[in-house]
Amino acid sequence: MSKSSITASGHTLWSKMPKANTELFALTYGSLITELLKDYDNDIEEINNQLERIGHSIGIRCIDELLAKSEVNGIDIGPCSNLENTAEVVAKIGFRCFLGMTCDVANVTEKSFSLFLYENPLSIFVELPETTNGDDDDRHQSFNSDGKENSGGGPDWSKLKYSNVYCGVIRGALEQINMKVECDFVRDVLRGHDVNEIKVELKEIMSDGAGQDYHEE
Amino acid sequence: MNKQESPLLFLIVGRNEPLYSSEFISNQKPTSDSITRQHYFVMHSALDLVDKFAFTYPQMYLKTVDKVNHQMVSVFLTASHVKFMVLHSGKGDDVLKQFFMEVYELYVKLSMNPFYQFDTHITSKDFDDRVRVLGMRYLL
Repeated sequence: MSKSSITASGHTLWSKMPKANTELFALTYGSLITELLKDYDNDIEEINNQLERIGHSIGIRCIDELLAKSEVNGIDIGPCSNLENTAEVVAKIGFRCFLGMTCDVANVTEKSFSLFLYENPLSIFVELPETTNGDDDDRHQSFNSDGKENSGGGPDWSKLKYSNVYCGVIRGALEQINMKVECDFVRDVLRGHDVNEIKVELKEIMSDGAGQDYHEE
Repeated sequence: MNKQESPLLFLIVGRNEPLYSSEFISNQKPTSDSITRQHYFVMHSALDLVDKFAFTYPQMYLKTVDKVNHQMVSVFLTASHVKFMVLHSGKGDDVLKQFFMEVYELYVKLSMNPFYQFDTHITSKDFDDRVRVLGMRYLL
């Protein structure tokens, strides 16, 4: 599929999808984050992992919906010939039709690509709190062997990957079509960078078919 | 002694305590017109009057609730009983109303932040900067 037809397909599919209120969506996701913070006691690493897992569950269903919806609307996505093609479909059709987001592909190599997200609907009201160190209180800091934590202070908010759910969605969706990938949020507007960047690395193309048990003798 | 240039104090008061405060001083040289404890005391004593008007006056903007010497306290009450209070000397009602409406919009946007808990101290630098800009524009 050519680049312009991919973009056009993305727009068509977006117009066919049922819409939800952006604010409701953003606020619901925000309250999910605060609940996770309460449940996991402000353990930022664990929360990032949970968000990725949640995204994974969403992603494995999204891919089917995407392919089905495009079939129904007469858009032929067709098998992607190379990684760049896959990246374009994820960015221009996937993100477009589910979230209405404009997304660009960059830095395409044989085994990885980057996605640039410009406006992120999940984080429209969000401002990450300041990381407090606990230094301004008395100097009775606990000596942690783990160098990552602030000694005696609050959680390190700059480590929170607020929209990590996207990484999980991409991983889940591509897993269903036999591509094993790892995704990571490299740059985040909430942490002060100018764009959101997700780096996707292809680990392996899995072989098709059921497991070892079902192979015929 | 012309007492026209009195400092302006803007407070956001929650259920129990002030959540945010900022001062607007018009003349650059800090003279004896700095925010003193007395100003905070005047604001505190005006709180009772706010409660008095809260259930009788239908609008959010309560105009001037208290007058002490040459200073007046004007209050804007939000739906969740968070009070925006300004200590001033003789600013027009319309100007104050516009100021309050814009601060209210900023406050609503802040409260939509999932990390901001209702009725806690407002520490956002962004909010502080924007309120100062509004203060410079409307109150000075």
